[in-house]
Amino acid sequence: MAAGTEVAPVEAPLARPRTLLVGTAFATGAAVMFFGALFSLYSSVRNDTLAWGAEWFPEGAIELKPGGSLMSTFAMAAITMAWAQYSAIHEDRVHGLIALGLTALLGIAAINQTVFYFNDIGLPIDHNVATTLLYVIVGTHMVMTGIAVLWMGLVLLRGFGGQGTGRHQDLVIAVSIFWYAVVAVYSVIWLFIYVAK
Amino acid sequence: MTDTSLEADGATALERVVTSTDANTLGRYWLGAGSLTLLASLVAGVLVALERLDLGGAEVFGSADEIFQFWSAYRVGLVLLAIVPIIVGLGTAVAPLQVGSDSIAFPRMAAFSFWTWLIGAGTTITGFLIDGGLGTPDAGSQRQAVALTLVGLLMVIGGLLGATVSLLTTIVCGRVAGLTLRRIPLFSWTLLVAGTFWLLTLPVLAANAVLAYVDLRGRTAVRFGAEDAIWEQLSWSFSHPQVYAFALPLVGIAFDIVPVSLRNRLANHDVVLVLTTLLGVVGFGAYAQSFFDTPGTPVMYQAIYVVDAFAAALIALALFGGLADTLRRGAGNLGSGAGNRPPAPMVLSVLAMLLLLAAAAVGALRVVDPFDLLATSATGAQMTLTMGAAFVGAMAGTLWWGDRIFGKVSSQGLGLLAGLAAVVGVLMIGVADLLSGFMGQNDFTGASLAAAGSPDSGVDALNVVALVGSVLLLVGALGWFANGIRRLTGAAAPADPWGGHTLEWAADASTVEVTSERPLLDALEHAGSAS
Repeated sequence: MAAGTEVAPVEAPLARPRTLLVGTAFATGAAVMFFGALFSLYSSVRNDTLAWGAEWFPEGAIELKPGGSLMSTFAMAAITMAWAQYSAIHEDRVHGLIALGLTALLGIAAINQTVFYFNDIGLPIDHNVATTLLYVIVGTHMVMTGIAVLWMGLVLLRGFGGQGTGRHQDLVIAVSIFWYAVVAVYSVIWLFIYVAK
Repeated sequence: MTDTSLEADGATALERVVTSTDANTLGRYWLGAGSLTLLASLVAGVLVALERLDLGGAEVFGSADEIFQFWSAYRVGLVLLAIVPIIVGLGTAVAPLQVGSDSIAFPRMAAFSFWTWLIGAGTTITGFLIDGGLGTPDAGSQRQAVALTLVGLLMVIGGLLGATVSLLTTIVCGRVAGLTLRRIPLFSWTLLVAGTFWLLTLPVLAANAVLAYVDLRGRTAVRFGAEDAIWEQLSWSFSHPQVYAFALPLVGIAFDIVPVSLRNRLANHDVVLVLTTLLGVVGFGAYAQSFFDTPGTPVMYQAIYVVDAFAAALIALALFGGLADTLRRGAGNLGSGAGNRPPAPMVLSVLAMLLLLAAAAVGALRVVDPFDLLATSATGAQMTLTMGAAFVGAMAGTLWWGDRIFGKVSSQGLGLLAGLAAVVGVLMIGVADLLSGFMGQNDFTGASLAAAGSPDSGVDALNVVALVGSVLLLVGALGWFANGIRRLTGAAAPADPWGGHTLEWAADASTVEVTSERPLLDALEHAGSAS
């Protein structure tokens, strides 16, 4: 630098939280509250029903194995999503795309398993309060999973289009926040419905 | 503000209306649509009050079920179709300016949220009008129409949630340098707190509605969509304590308006931050639904519900004390302005805080066991007082920020008159319904004296007072609406008619150095001391 040249000080960038991540956190919080409400209702109505000595689910209707299999699928999908997130942060495009694709595939597999299982047991939605709650909780969770898979599909399309920018990184982290919530909600479904019944 | 609409592409006016993502424009949409649904809700309220004059039978409506549909339509409409959207509208237009942001976060989502809400509001109103609503399926209400109302309600909730996420993200992420969360203007702060609690509670309401809908549509309803269970599941959103969370931004409006009007600072800014947060916590009402009754003890008789009511009263009292202190310290400055009279928004915002205090006092009285008021019309009194306070606060807010939002002036006199009519109307309804509650009148009176709880004969006169109050409230809302229409054709407004202290009044917020919660006042004082 030539002597005597004055350079204006560069202003430090504002340390504000990233918009997409904050927005996703708010939206995910709302989605979790939705399921929190359903779980609270499930627990409350179940306690009341059992206290009256009435039947909750019909004997043998809900098996542990399909629920456990779904839990394994979601657990694997949480790991692949962590891989996608790690790859995005370290700007590893190929691994990021593979991991995100795998996560989306596992999400589709989970939806497929759920549909197959509920067709298989053939429990009518209006059998009793328990089955209505069961279908609402599992059904809305499938919707949540579907939204996450669609979102991942869009991020993948952007990735394939070469959008490996900071925005892409934010998108992957945002979808991972939502996906972890999907997995966390399923963990509670597994415990409340498949294990505790 | 950034607008990613089709304006530049030579789009038609309709295309521009539908595709606009400008925060100010969206704010105006919310305000306009919210004021129309407010009028519709208040008409339903007047009709229900008229029906209550004679408990010998259904005179205005055809049956008790129809009365119930309109009675519940009034509450749902007032909260989710009117007051909350109006507050969201004010927030969408004002909050980005207050934090110095040039646009709202996720502008397309904000626009999508408004249109979702609008279509949902139309669907909900249609559901109510075609014999659906939240009445009893197959016992008067049409089953399909009840389902339609629930779908509309879900869209309304979805729209409000989307708009809230946009607003909160703007407040958190869009702030200019120096504007820490402690320094953001109190309207934005209360939006942040209230919005957080809306995000925590509206999904619970959505869960209730989804459950009722699925049950209603799934062959034979087993419980959630049957008989009176639908309203039983949803009613917590329209009564104590949840209504405090919906009304909370009125506190921010009052605390933004009063110090500027009196040209002084708020003595305890941090205390107000804490108190408004506490009021938000107290207003978390998702637990107060009948599903969480423990055997032998309904949730309304449990300690948390009672403590909640008294805590709300104490917080409202403390907040009003803070406002009164500001009024006391700044009273001497009133005469130094353009006139000796206090500005209309200041008067209305102080009255709104008084109404909130009255609502919280009624809420506390309601849970005192010996009075036995929980199932009585005192419940309606508390709801109307709280939402009425929020409406009067919103009236003050639109008078205050209206010049900035619309760029045109309105009549302060008409605004004040409309506000005073609304205040008197709300007070008349509140006091009459509280006293009727003491005399044993049920919250929902049905069409007969037996359904009304066979109250003391004195309630007849009180029901007349409540009817007059309902009409006055409607007149106030009409005046407010007329003033809004008049504003559209009014003269151009000055950039800063009040000598504002916060960033929404700055010509260019990015050039203002923010060192406290009142940066423009700081700059003015700094310039004064330098000269």
